Amino acid sequence: MARRPKYLRAWYGIFPAAMLALAPFALPLYVMTLLTEALILGLFAMSLDLMVGYTRLFSFGHAAAFGFGAYASGWLLLHTQLPMLCAVPLAALLAGIVAIGVAWVCTQATGVSFSMLTLAFAQLLYAVAFKWTSVTGGSDGLAGIPRRGGPFGFDAFSSRTGFYYFVLIALAAALVFCWALVRSPFGAVLRGIRENEAKTLALGYNTRLYKIAVVALAYGLGGLAGALYAPFAGFANTELVFWLFSGQVLIMVIVGGSGTLIGPILGAAFFLVVEHQLSNYTEAWALGFGLIFIAFVIFAPEGIWGLLTERLGRAGRSVR
Amino acid sequence: MSLFAFLTTQSLNALSQAALLFFLGVGLTLIFGIMRIVNFAHGTLYMLGAFVGYSVARSTASFWPALLLAPLAVGVVGVLFELVILRRLYRREASAFLMVTFGLALVLGEIVRLTWGPEALQVEPPQAFAGIVFLAGEPFPTYRLFLVAAGIIIAVAIWQLLDRTRLGLIIRAASQNPEMVSALGIDVNLVRSMVFGIGCSLAGIGGVLAAPLVTASVGMAATMIIDAFVIVIIGGMGSFLGSLIAALLIAFTQVFGEYYLPDFALAFMYLLMLLVLVIRPGGLLGKEA
Amino acid sequence: MGLLEVERLTRRFGGLVAVDGVSMEVAEGEVRAVIGPNGAGKSTLFNLITGIIKPSDGTVRFAGERLTGLPVPRICQRGIARTFQLTALFPEMTARENTRLAAQAREPWHWRFLGGGATFASAGKRADLALERLGLTALADVPAGFLSHGDQRLLEIAMALAQSPRLLLLDEPTQGLSVEETAQAVDTLAALLADGSLTVLLVEHDMEVVFRLADKITVLHRGAVIADGSPEAIRNDSQVQRAYLGGLS
Repeated sequence: MARRPKYLRAWYGIFPAAMLALAPFALPLYVMTLLTEALILGLFAMSLDLMVGYTRLFSFGHAAAFGFGAYASGWLLLHTQLPMLCAVPLAALLAGIVAIGVAWVCTQATGVSFSMLTLAFAQLLYAVAFKWTSVTGGSDGLAGIPRRGGPFGFDAFSSRTGFYYFVLIALAAALVFCWALVRSPFGAVLRGIRENEAKTLALGYNTRLYKIAVVALAYGLGGLAGALYAPFAGFANTELVFWLFSGQVLIMVIVGGSGTLIGPILGAAFFLVVEHQLSNYTEAWALGFGLIFIAFVIFAPEGIWGLLTERLGRAGRSVR
Repeated sequence: MSLFAFLTTQSLNALSQAALLFFLGVGLTLIFGIMRIVNFAHGTLYMLGAFVGYSVARSTASFWPALLLAPLAVGVVGVLFELVILRRLYRREASAFLMVTFGLALVLGEIVRLTWGPEALQVEPPQAFAGIVFLAGEPFPTYRLFLVAAGIIIAVAIWQLLDRTRLGLIIRAASQNPEMVSALGIDVNLVRSMVFGIGCSLAGIGGVLAAPLVTASVGMAATMIIDAFVIVIIGGMGSFLGSLIAALLIAFTQVFGEYYLPDFALAFMYLLMLLVLVIRPGGLLGKEA
Repeated sequence: MGLLEVERLTRRFGGLVAVDGVSMEVAEGEVRAVIGPNGAGKSTLFNLITGIIKPSDGTVRFAGERLTGLPVPRICQRGIARTFQLTALFPEMTARENTRLAAQAREPWHWRFLGGGATFASAGKRADLALERLGLTALADVPAGFLSHGDQRLLEIAMALAQSPRLLLLDEPTQGLSVEETAQAVDTLAALLADGSLTVLLVEHDMEVVFRLADKITVLHRGAVIADGSPEAIRNDSQVQRAYLGGLS
């Protein structure tokens, strides 16, 4: 990975952050809705990047995290009096805790078997979501999920604009957390696992524990995204756990640029924009996106963000 | 129903199910054995076989041309994909293959959805096997017996191909040591394309044979890909015999599990897979993944 | 009582006995070379000691405590570091990052997931020291994958050193090196081992390297120890000569 000069990094952060913070004042409502969804999906994609980009653990079942978070927060908001500010983090925490068990099982295997196990768990959750109608609403899912304010009457986040800021804050916090994580000693070990797991093991690290930890964190953050989605959209259904969704978020990560945290967020935005624009013209937009994905894997594995930073890096600055 | 009748019908049920699973798994394990590629699109190719079979069967008003043409079509799709896309990635690491075959699964899935629509489609079984036989006094669909027979025939055919023919020898050699085979003057790229094509055709055969039983639907691909991988994981990646044994194991677990504990049938399969992974990470008979 | 005690260590692979009742005792501060013709079981012996494979029989004791049966990371944590026959590094990380990751494993907060500046500083210091001792300071910021083969071998040793091990296992450190690189490596190693503070188990094919560095030599043949003693004694041992020149069945 190239070492980007410090000033370049700060510049990347402040300008877009300011733009996002001021967006509600400049953009029309329907664009704001799209932007909110993009931020939620961006969080989702970033969480997967922890596994895929930083530890080379390919999950084909990440929708399980999202769906679990969505169902959990949806159920809490519908059946208890908990405010959003409590339900959403609680749902994310639950997702992370359950993920420890899932991670323990999946990390028994490596490589493709690991990926298959993650997919199997997602399918299992899908089947459960379908059958456990009393809790999940079956094929109809949960509907009418409220954006309950509180505690103490605080409901600034319940309006459209307020909720946007809620999501923005969550994404920013998660991004900062992940950024700190990958620069910590823990993150250095993840990198070791990514580049040469056998050597990392031989150095005395219990790589299994690290893998379980990163999977649980990734699922927890993915669950946070799902938990935000439920009050955003007002519903939660089995589509959120479907393998297609798992595939789409993987595409967001790869196309955006894996191992960069920002790349997947861009990938999610890119995906949404393409979906919204193309679907006006043709039914075959998903087909187009699949082809774009394949093209990226072959010709531009560093993704959009990788291409961008390379171009900026080459623009007269000595980076290496 | 007498116990004997019950056991007979359910066992034959399981055998027909095993046949379908076997078609799916053997193609996947063949592809992995030679190319070390895990073909994520395998379930979608299976589904494609079912839908192409539907169209051929409808336009010719007969099942048999479908049985011939669908696998052929799917095989061609596979070979094209290998030539155009997979060839570029042989120097890259394994995850690139995972991604790209996943992309193929999505693209093919969309093509199927756009061409044939989102509804499930009914395929008529061939006239000769559309009826019922009576086994130990119980009615049993003749088509399932046909499936069992087809499974046995194809399993034997593949076995003979691998064991007795020159191509089979090359395939087995290439799965152990592709560099050596190439050094012997054999065009390994050609072998790869052929094996990928054969593997995909097998998925196609599975699809078209399954269609009269389960109807051709867009959701097929997701469950089938998992089933296929469970077979290959349990049986061992790259092992022909392993996929046969695993298919039987899973089918019997599913059929009898479905009868006694219907809500947990799905869980049984995953539990089985987990158990095998814990005890023998390479699968029952497999080379390490 | 030696630092490392290997007692009747045996490993069978089906019908093949790769390591056959090997016993040896390595004292603290000693440099012990393990030599033998190809297939003698040297690498298998290393793998048994470091826990990568489990023995069929026998025990390994380190500082009086049982090592056999423990998982690989735990054995390493007891103070044993090794290099591999096929260079094992983190190719995209710089030499310094490689070494720092090795050093980090010995830090109390090596798993910290937020902050960790102190951990990095402490590990970094030990890493820089190790790089210096191996003469690699100038290459500290080069990605390991871009280093020459010789420098990569030295980097692996630096990584092992950065773990402040009590026992260092070097698996054919000069393998694949040119004549000059070998001479350089041996000079570096000799300087490293001069003060006698490190206990080293060394597998080597190059006899000159062995005779220059080793305090004692153990000779393996077909998995069993056929000779054990000072370099002088081994040099004159007829059995050893026959094993190397063939003829010993």
